[in-house]
Amino acid sequence: MSLRALRWTTFSALVGLLSLLILAPIGSFLVLSFASLKNGVIDHAFSVQNYVDIVSSPTYLGVIWQTIVLCAGVMATTMMLGYPVAYFIWRRSPRWRSFWLLLFSLPLLMSYIVKIYTMRSILGVNGPLNSLLVFLGILDSPTPIFLFNRLSIFVTMSVILLPFALFPIYMSLAQLPKNLIHAAADLGATHLTTFRFVILPLTLPGTLAGGLFTFILAFGDYITPEMVGGPNGFTVGRMIWSQFGLAFNWPFGAALGAVVLLLALTAIAAASLINQRGEPR
Amino acid sequence: MTSIWSQRLLDAVLFVFAAVLLVVLYSPLALSLVYSLIPVENGILDWAHPSVGPYLRMWDDPLIASAVRTTLLVGSVSVILAVILGVACALFVTSRLAVHTWLIEALVFMPFLLPPIVTGLSLLIYFDAVGIPRGTWTIICGHTLFVLAVIYKLVSDRLRALPRSLFEAAADLGGNGVQVFTIIVWPLIQPVVITAAILAFALSFDETLITAFLAGTNMTLPVRLWAMMRVGFSPSINALVTIVIMASAAIAVIVSARIRREQSEQ
Repeated sequence: MSLRALRWTTFSALVGLLSLLILAPIGSFLVLSFASLKNGVIDHAFSVQNYVDIVSSPTYLGVIWQTIVLCAGVMATTMMLGYPVAYFIWRRSPRWRSFWLLLFSLPLLMSYIVKIYTMRSILGVNGPLNSLLVFLGILDSPTPIFLFNRLSIFVTMSVILLPFALFPIYMSLAQLPKNLIHAAADLGATHLTTFRFVILPLTLPGTLAGGLFTFILAFGDYITPEMVGGPNGFTVGRMIWSQFGLAFNWPFGAALGAVVLLLALTAIAAASLINQRGEPR
Repeated sequence: MTSIWSQRLLDAVLFVFAAVLLVVLYSPLALSLVYSLIPVENGILDWAHPSVGPYLRMWDDPLIASAVRTTLLVGSVSVILAVILGVACALFVTSRLAVHTWLIEALVFMPFLLPPIVTGLSLLIYFDAVGIPRGTWTIICGHTLFVLAVIYKLVSDRLRALPRSLFEAAADLGGNGVQVFTIIVWPLIQPVVITAAILAFALSFDETLITAFLAGTNMTLPVRLWAMMRVGFSPSINALVTIVIMASAAIAVIVSARIRREQSEQ
């Protein structure tokens, strides 16, 4: 076989297989989002009704907007908590850096479901948080306000997603050319000035990319809101999950999934654009 | 002098901040350990009577035992499939045959970058459309696609770091494609393939958001735990969870040690 024939056979075999496994499912869910449910049976006749329903309903739009606000909050929180920690790790000696990085990456591999479960018991009426606040005299008696609302979704997601934001931030710090910082010091800049005018602007793109990563993960989550959100903590993810379960309206669930896909692609594009623009050197 | 002291103060403040966050991040492990050892009476922990009994009764629940078996099966099979596909893609992309690399990379990274809920529901709808019922095989398919990116990334990075002349010399000396792969390439990439496979297995073991869409009555451990969460975990489930978390931690330590060794060798 000639090199050219071998090239195109291998290429089409790989792309064909990957498309069959990855593109075809995405295609079939997008197709289904244009179907509809009639008397409990899926009608495949083309219709944009699902999308019309989404954009014309204040309830759905409200949930989408509230989910965006919630996830933006999670994104901001993980960035603001992650940055000081990444900065701290970056200032350690190389040996200690890998130790601290390992300490912060271990929770990534700890069971996701268990994290939600323990956060639920921590925030609960009989949980450690209430016990602590009562013990310290801040509360007279345990309160249920920490659980089953949007606040508890926000707290739980932030705790789970923090390590995801930390690593891109640390990477952008690690890529900083050392001579820039030395140059700033030689020119008489104080540490604060160097941080404000050299370090922060150069690491902001990586920080934002890390934040957008947590935004996407938070936006698609449905188990956290289901478990700690209570009746009022409805999110897009939870709405989708219910279409494939109790509500059993797959076409509508697919249309909501398309909304998530669109938002995620926008966030990914934004993250890669920011990263390209902000590349040091 | 003041500058040195302000730096030390800053470091101390940041240290305390990092330590507090670590306490929060590790609280799930601590709490499962406590709940597995300390019996609970009417919602109150009975610190006077710790017991390792739950660790001995861990396998008594047949649903949990079968979920652990399914999880291990899914993890092993999907990692093997992802290694075959991921190494094939990495070899093609780094070989002189490479063409339209961006397309292959976009496809490989897609299931990892897209929200798991999108991957999950698209596979569910696809399998339903082609008439494949939900079960262990549909979960394996989802997991293979999910961990593929990890295998591909680590292996292709390693291949790119190898000098091309190595393969060209082997080919010039008359080695055919299979010989060049088994004698030259495989021994060089084997360590990174093993690292990637361990990491992929750990990711598969914990995967929940895609799996929940694809699991039928035969569930993996995380999905089974989710179903059990509504009624609360028994001490023996907490015992199992503690062991799972500690095993994942051990895996993370192994993977990071292997990656660091690999990087220092390059």
